[in-house]
Amino acid sequence: MASLLIIREKLRNFYSRFENYVRPALKFLLAFITFTLINRGVGYARILTKLPVVLIMALLCSFFPTNFILILGVLVILLHLYALSLETVLVAAVIFFLMFLVYFRFSPKDTVLLLFTPICFALKIPYVIPICAGLICTPASVIAAGCGVVTWHMLRYISLNSAALTTQEDEAIFALEKLKILIDALMGNREMQVLVAAFAVAILFVYIIRRLPVDHCWTIAMITGTLIDIVVILVGDLRFETRISIVGLIVGSIVALLVAMVLKFFVFNVDYTRTEKVQFEDDEYYYYVKAVPKNTVSLADRKVKKIKGREKLPSPPAGHGRREEEGTDAPEYRVRRSVSQGDDRIKNMVSTSKAAVQKSNKSRTRRINLPEEEDKT
Amino acid sequence: MTRLAAFETGEGRKSMAIGSYFRSDYIAREVIKSIIYVTMAYGIVIVGYVAYDFEEFMANIYNIDLLQLGKTLLYRYLAVVGIYALVTYIIYSFRYRKARKNLRIYYNNLRRLNSMYKKEASSQSEDS
Repeated sequence: MASLLIIREKLRNFYSRFENYVRPALKFLLAFITFTLINRGVGYARILTKLPVVLIMALLCSFFPTNFILILGVLVILLHLYALSLETVLVAAVIFFLMFLVYFRFSPKDTVLLLFTPICFALKIPYVIPICAGLICTPASVIAAGCGVVTWHMLRYISLNSAALTTQEDEAIFALEKLKILIDALMGNREMQVLVAAFAVAILFVYIIRRLPVDHCWTIAMITGTLIDIVVILVGDLRFETRISIVGLIVGSIVALLVAMVLKFFVFNVDYTRTEKVQFEDDEYYYYVKAVPKNTVSLADRKVKKIKGREKLPSPPAGHGRREEEGTDAPEYRVRRSVSQGDDRIKNMVSTSKAAVQKSNKSRTRRINLPEEEDKT
Repeated sequence: MTRLAAFETGEGRKSMAIGSYFRSDYIAREVIKSIIYVTMAYGIVIVGYVAYDFEEFMANIYNIDLLQLGKTLLYRYLAVVGIYALVTYIIYSFRYRKARKNLRIYYNNLRRLNSMYKKEASSQSEDS
């Protein structure tokens, strides 16, 4: 445990030290994954799937606020869908617009959550989203998670049925028909609706429980949230006959729990055995506070000083100092030598040693003469 | 002091903007904004619905009871606006409360800093 805490502290220190570089790098990575995922799913516009284009877009995103990834991502999706057919891009644009009306109104800061939702779906671990969102976000993040689920299912449907949605020669005849098919598919997607509902309920429950003033609330919240997520999905599956894999649900939920535990270790690592209850007041309020200390370790402040091996010194002129007579190296002598090479730190050391020598003179203790000093004398 | 400066440049700006309103004014303003947005969204959905069933709509346009249709659409609109306004009210009440709390902590810290400055000034005057 202690070693894990040390690793955490090191990571924190690294992040705080190189925050200016780490943040853009993380944004770049997130944008790159997002664009790659979009290209893999609905990469119909060939030009946008080329690696240099993706890299340039990701690089651009690393310098802008996180919401820029979202906006650019939506633009890329719409361009891809435009290459597929006009009706598809129309429906997608309307859905994105409606989602943005809700998203930017209520949870514009949950961009990372919105982007991570389709990514987790692609990685087959979507059940991580409600648990982690409930633990570290607010109830408004229900909207971001819901938008993510809708986006993923919409893109998946378009990707699977691209042949039926492709623009044909006699497109005027089928345009409305295609529009109808697409809207039917999205509105009638029970799996999507069940997942949105399950995620919303789980996020709310996890959020409420983890805010309770009880010990181990985070652990209780993540376990309860996972169970609620499973129950709601199973009920939805029974009611609407969705085709959600039960094995996938169980395994995904276990993975979600593990990920949530890692998250808890980094975000909410406390020691309940040292809980204190304190009471104090200021001008306006009385405070009844339950203080739970965080688990922390202080890293050893190690400073590595490079010590060069003893150099063979040029033998000083005969009759220099008693140390020479005794056949030992005189440290002061070496210090002086370094000073002549212009090292400031050594200069400080010399001034300190000078002061020490003067002090020893005053106290009439035995002193070691430095060659230059001897010369002076 | 660092905490105060960080608050002023970051989260504080928003909190101060929110704190300059009365609670009811702030929430009412946000609810009105939400109603405008939801009206736009509802309009788009209606257009989408007409486009979706365009052929049938055009074929039966003379047989449709337009008053009844209008009533149905209005009731649905009111229901959607009601739900949306309620959600807005809850979320923005929460945000207002949070902003006020942050501002209270900020002013407390500011007061403490002020008293520290006063103490320092008085000790300097005593020395001189």
